[in-house]
Amino acid sequence: MREGSGLKCVFVDTASFVREYLTPLFGSTVEEALTRRYEVLVCSGLFSEAYLLSGPVAAVARRLMRSGRVPYMAGAYVGRVRRSRPRLIPSADFLSLIYSLLGRPVRAVVVGLEGLKPFLYGRDVLRASVRGCFDPLGRGEVAGVVGEDGLVYGVGLASVNSCRELGRLGGEDVVVRNVFDVGWFVRGSSGRERKFKV
Amino acid sequence: MVERYVNMLGSWREVKELLTAFERRLNPVVRCNTLKVGGCGELVERLERLGYALSRIGWVDYCFEVVGGGVATLGSTHEFLAGLYYIHRGAAALLPPIALGPRPRDSVCDLAAAPGGKLTHMAQLMRNEGVVLGVDVSRDRMRALRSNVERLGVRNAVLWRADGGLVPSVFPSAFGKVLLDAPCSGEGLIMMDPSRKVRTGFEDLVRLHRLQVRLLNAAIDSAAEGGAVLYSVCSIAPEECEFVVAEVVEGRDDVVVEGLGDALPLRLDRGVEEFFGIRLPEYVRACVRVWPHKHGMEGFFMCLLRRVGR
Repeated sequence: MREGSGLKCVFVDTASFVREYLTPLFGSTVEEALTRRYEVLVCSGLFSEAYLLSGPVAAVARRLMRSGRVPYMAGAYVGRVRRSRPRLIPSADFLSLIYSLLGRPVRAVVVGLEGLKPFLYGRDVLRASVRGCFDPLGRGEVAGVVGEDGLVYGVGLASVNSCRELGRLGGEDVVVRNVFDVGWFVRGSSGRERKFKV
Repeated sequence: MVERYVNMLGSWREVKELLTAFERRLNPVVRCNTLKVGGCGELVERLERLGYALSRIGWVDYCFEVVGGGVATLGSTHEFLAGLYYIHRGAAALLPPIALGPRPRDSVCDLAAAPGGKLTHMAQLMRNEGVVLGVDVSRDRMRALRSNVERLGVRNAVLWRADGGLVPSVFPSAFGKVLLDAPCSGEGLIMMDPSRKVRTGFEDLVRLHRLQVRLLNAAIDSAAEGGAVLYSVCSIAPEECEFVVAEVVEGRDDVVVEGLGDALPLRLDRGVEEFFGIRLPEYVRACVRVWPHKHGMEGFFMCLLRRVGR
């Protein structure tokens, strides 16, 4: 979010945002936890990005916005919100937050080390490297990519409708199409590569 | 340059030690990111499995000097990408956040925040609570700052791309703690970048000094009454260190220099009081210097100021 680039930031109703974008993905358990703790800021320009802000963070962001400026970033980066499906591309950090709130991953595949390496170079996740799977999954819907160490390494779009479907795939079949992987922090953060491949 | 060092240090023997230290390679330092890592021992084990040899820094238990290289570059391991650690070029860069000591509910401002080593360190000390406003003017460096904030799981920051001098116009007397790690010549980093031996001319020093004075005044203006301002530079040039502090303090009636003794986990040298016959106010002795030949780190300067009522 850069000043002078026509960006606008607005605080939106937290409960409505959570119900519209997050509950459909992660269930109602996260609804209360997030609504109680955070405010939601949405900044729109070429694309729209959402942030979760604690009270003190929201106070500083509000003061900045009252002066006619926009924050470059604030609080926890939720991800990009979209008009078409998928409605939300969550950030890796936001998925970590959700998984810690839920106590386990949801909408995610666990990828072995040999699959993680190409994924971190922007490649898709193939069936042969999937070590675990957490429903619900939906074709064309977001899926977290988790390492065997439990860390979130990225996010993609699932090619299957449930974990059960994995049994029908061959080793070379794509399970999750890469949308964002944390390798981008080294590869693309200088602006050469766009952040989300959707 | 040598004449300047003789003037600062007072003896040829010590100048020779300093110049020798500048020729030594400095090992990078890994700061274990406790926002993401439960126990730093686990991170050490992971990096050792990759072939790195780490040595814990005696005065900060979550930071490790990298004394032996691994199979991958330190900035491309899965552990790095997942935000389990931050790489500092040297250990002295760890000192400003420790000296300022932000606590979980504090309201903090970092006036020259990119690429984020100190901001993310402060967020770690604050356990992702409270708020830290990170300001930087450079578009490219802001991208790097945001990447680091996201990668390391920092969730209590507001980032604003602007000249740090603008901060008090929006946030006058607002923050309990303010860090200004000011843009500088980098004369303390000669062991990492030998080109710095000749890169800075006198005109550059004058320009940097003016910028540092302007930003330090802005830092003080954005601190609340009673608030702390930590000024630091990775330089040993007095024009960027004690002279900046003296010019700012002499020009205001709402700020005092405080000693850093209790705030630091190790003993450092006092500020330089006299340089080429120019005698500086006594309070600059309360500022501290990191000397490469004495402390085994990059050259560094820090001074803690306190905003007081007029």
